[in-house]
Amino acid sequence: MSDTILKVRDLKLHYFTSKGAVRALDGLSFDLARGETLGLVGESGCGKTTTGVALLGMPSPPGRIVGGSVVIDGTQIVGLPDRELRKNVRWSKISMVFQGAMNCLTPVYTIRELMAETYRVHCGPEALGTEGLEALMEKYVRLVGLSESVLGRYPHELSGGMKQRVVIAMALFLEPKVIVMDEPTTALDVIVQAQILNLIKVLKRDLGLSYVFITHDLSTEAEIADRIMVMYAGKMAELGSSEDIFGVPRDQGDSRSGPLHPYTQMLLASTPRLHRRVSELAFIPGSPPDLVAPPSGCRFSPRCPFARTKCRQLDPPVHEFGKGHLVACWKAMEESEYERS
Amino acid sequence: MKARDRLQDFGEFWAEFRQEKTGLVGLGILVIFILLGLFGSLIVPFKDADKHWRDIDYWQDNPQAAPPVWTNAFSLKKGVPSSTLTSFKAEEQSQDSGVVIKTFTFDYPFVYDRPPRDLLVRVPGSGQVPLVISLERPDGLSAELYREQVELSEGSPERISIARNCAQSTIEFIRNQDASMANDMNADLINPTSILFAKMDPGMLDDPVALKGDYKIKVEALILSSDFSVGAPSIQVSGHVSGLMGTDASKRDVFTGIVLGIRWALIIGILTSVISVVAGVLLGIIAAYFGGVVDWLLSRLYELVYLLPVLPFLIVISAIYKPSIWSMIILICAFFWTGSFKTVYSMTLQIKEETYIEAARALGSSKWRIVFKHISPILLPYSFASMALSIPAIIVYEASVSLLGLGDSTIVSWGQILESALSQGAMINNLWWWVIPPGLMIALMGMSFAFLGTALDKILHPKLKTR
Amino acid sequence: MNAASAPDTAFDAILEVEELRKEFVSHRGRMRVRAVDGVSFSLKRGEILGLVGESGCGKTTTGKLIMRLVEPSSGNIRVEGKDAVSLDREADFAYRRRVQMIFQDPYASMNPHFKIRDVLEEPLLIHGIGASRTERMKLVEEVMEKVKMTPASEFMDRYPHMLSGGQRQRIATARTLILRPSIIVADEPVSMIDLSTRAEILHLMKTIQSDMDLSFIYITHDISTARYFTDRIAVMYLGRIVELGTQDEVIDHPAHPYTKALIEAVCEPVSGRVGIMRDLKVKGEIPSASDIPSGCRFHPRCLFATEACAKEPEPELQDLGDGHAQACRRYSEIQYGR
Repeated sequence: MSDTILKVRDLKLHYFTSKGAVRALDGLSFDLARGETLGLVGESGCGKTTTGVALLGMPSPPGRIVGGSVVIDGTQIVGLPDRELRKNVRWSKISMVFQGAMNCLTPVYTIRELMAETYRVHCGPEALGTEGLEALMEKYVRLVGLSESVLGRYPHELSGGMKQRVVIAMALFLEPKVIVMDEPTTALDVIVQAQILNLIKVLKRDLGLSYVFITHDLSTEAEIADRIMVMYAGKMAELGSSEDIFGVPRDQGDSRSGPLHPYTQMLLASTPRLHRRVSELAFIPGSPPDLVAPPSGCRFSPRCPFARTKCRQLDPPVHEFGKGHLVACWKAMEESEYERS
Repeated sequence: MKARDRLQDFGEFWAEFRQEKTGLVGLGILVIFILLGLFGSLIVPFKDADKHWRDIDYWQDNPQAAPPVWTNAFSLKKGVPSSTLTSFKAEEQSQDSGVVIKTFTFDYPFVYDRPPRDLLVRVPGSGQVPLVISLERPDGLSAELYREQVELSEGSPERISIARNCAQSTIEFIRNQDASMANDMNADLINPTSILFAKMDPGMLDDPVALKGDYKIKVEALILSSDFSVGAPSIQVSGHVSGLMGTDASKRDVFTGIVLGIRWALIIGILTSVISVVAGVLLGIIAAYFGGVVDWLLSRLYELVYLLPVLPFLIVISAIYKPSIWSMIILICAFFWTGSFKTVYSMTLQIKEETYIEAARALGSSKWRIVFKHISPILLPYSFASMALSIPAIIVYEASVSLLGLGDSTIVSWGQILESALSQGAMINNLWWWVIPPGLMIALMGMSFAFLGTALDKILHPKLKTR
Repeated sequence: MNAASAPDTAFDAILEVEELRKEFVSHRGRMRVRAVDGVSFSLKRGEILGLVGESGCGKTTTGKLIMRLVEPSSGNIRVEGKDAVSLDREADFAYRRRVQMIFQDPYASMNPHFKIRDVLEEPLLIHGIGASRTERMKLVEEVMEKVKMTPASEFMDRYPHMLSGGQRQRIATARTLILRPSIIVADEPVSMIDLSTRAEILHLMKTIQSDMDLSFIYITHDISTARYFTDRIAVMYLGRIVELGTQDEVIDHPAHPYTKALIEAVCEPVSGRVGIMRDLKVKGEIPSASDIPSGCRFHPRCLFATEACAKEPEPELQDLGDGHAQACRRYSEIQYGR
């Protein structure tokens, strides 16, 4: 479908350490439509950041993509040499706002010099002249809500929120089709977080780009993501629209009643709420598994209160429940069959 | 429980250490050094050398400036190794007059190309005893070398040097064979042993060729009365080559000196490094953690001492006060504590900001408790590495001071051996066996500690991080 | 006299803080940071008070002042009616048994070379509790059971890095309990722990608090956890308290513009928010604490600010009734249009 800008099929990425191969991503598949925002959510170690960098074809060593395919705007990424990726894919088709990027701006260069460097690396010095480049930079700096004077400043002269806006501008200004954002608001104060999220919503509306939004916080995903993929231990647990995952408020009387995977349910139940009085906060006992030797069967089974023998032996396949709502869980499958019968 | 923990920690540490090849080499060399240092006096040929290093009489039987015995393997003309003849055949003959003649016959198989430098006959006993010493050569010729009445004493045996005392007898011996040759001989100029052990050839005076074969040396003593007696004599052959590392210009066995020097090198090195590192580490922690006036004082003290040049200072103090080795150790410590001070200081400044230090304060811990229970254990690994690494320099400092003749003259150290070598012209006279061993030892011990220290540093360094 | 402490009767308050100030000076006096700039509140016995705010608001410094890890520049602290600012060695030592702290980073707060048993034994050794090792170990085991780290023997010989973040924070909590304190200051105790374990730790702390009748100061930037955990909340901005009240009042009926913006900014895991902007009624970002704005320190960011807000002296907390107090001079106007 020409409407799909990003197609990931059975992506496998392993980190080859001295202790063995860490199976960080073990067969991930999803689509991203044009103009859509897909949220990747999960605890630390679930593989969401790994997925992000894999989409740019740059797994951090000792990581390597060992299987599967990633097609961005018609171009297959897996197997492309680095030079090709740098020239034709990165920043022109897909760019990334890295986790903690705002703290990685080289302090001895001005914002102008930093952005110009990005341009040189990905487009080469020819295409736009100095003036053209300056105009482009000004346009995007204004777009993220900053004044052009920021271009002449050094990173340490800017506040946290301003730096994050600069980093977003740097990801946008070469006009890619897909932007991956990894925890873009986590390190910011609460109010600045909301301001940046507002900015991202505006950009979403005005630029019509596709976003992959990575965070560990379900509440933040709820703000921004059209569809949400919940990851656990390198695999997808559940993928669905915002309504599928969070459920629809009961007074609207919809048939969709919320997440189907126990992990998603427990994650939701353990997220603190501000406007709802919760006497007991749920929690998930145990901790994520070791990915060098993941548990047999469903990876969540050691911590799942509903786990049965089948769950511990067989890895559940991804099953579609309702339009676009994918779940990998035996219990969910059995219950839906039960309902149908 | 604590001991078992430590043992387990050590086991883990050893497993890692085993992988550091250079560290193992360093440790191996060090272990050999320590063993030699502890038990060296058992294997050296001169057991009491420690006390008699500067006693001329102790060494009088050694050849002077003789190369090591194994150099014979490389020379065409094999020199005589120094040895002691102690087995003899004893005979007693009583005469009618009541005089007892005791004859001691020594066998000496001579297989070398060059005649011995000297034969030293030692005869213990008591009273006035006439002695006759004669030599029977393998070619059948005999020479009477010595005929004197001497006063014997048990405590210090009479020492007769063939080379020194028998020049005239040697001339007589030659006269019996060839009168004309004897006329060319001058008692002051000839070398008796080289003639006595040479083939009878017309040119034997200028170019003697050694006569190989079995020699017999007879010592006859006349016991004139029952008050007098004579004990078992011994003969010291003073050769051209001696010992594992030869002898120096004062006839001292170099090998013995080197082994004795190990003990002192280890003592000086280890003692100084332990004291100076412990001092430096403690002062560094205290200065950084306590801050304020204490920090100011200690830092200024550090700067002062750090700027002082160690060697010139040591030289001046040694020249004026002639310190013993113990005060020199203290003196070197007074300079060396600065080495670890600064690093420990900056590490402590970092550790000080750690949350667990804050937590300890919040619990009510005293500052001293934090210093000893929290900060010091983190710096322990660094301390060990630092100790090992500072030893080479310390050994060289002591050697340098000794080299200049300012060392402690009651001990034997490698620096001192070097010093006497250079001052007594070892270089000019090509006495390489005197110069190379001490220098080599200094380098070897320094190297072993350096290897050890680097391996320790490599393993323990990651743990220098506070997490 | 502080309006916020008016409803409390003196003997009910276990901790009273009055006009507390802390100024940090650096660069030879060129940089002055007023981290805590006139903070007053009281903590009732058995109560959990939340200090909520963003970075630079002074909540952590306030915690450290209460812990006597930092000396106040001015102001009073009273614990059980007795002065807690100028104490001699003995009194300071005794103080540290009564007031304990749980730190934010569960790994950094324990010496990585100490085993868990050593970490928990240390307070006992410092204060001379327990005559023998056996006695002390019994106390250690007791306290480990309280934080559900059982069987104790399984964890006692481990090092901190062998435990998960949640487990370490339990040990940190155990360490505060072993001296039987009256007051615990918890500085962001769950912000460095995985989401799914946060609730567990907060639940544990809540249970312990009610079992042992402890008084808590809970410092956090995450007001949602404050909803779950606290009785009352004090909202701090740039070194001062701008609003104080029960958590229901502060969260459901915020009075100060800053609190309103804070509440508005919080995201919830519900559907239907995509594409909807948050109406924050606040502009710009938090200024540096070395350059505090004149008048009401919030005025440069406040959409309701007038000239008076910038010129006139900083407003104090005003009582709104029911223990709810706030520090905006234009409150009545904004709220009721008067």
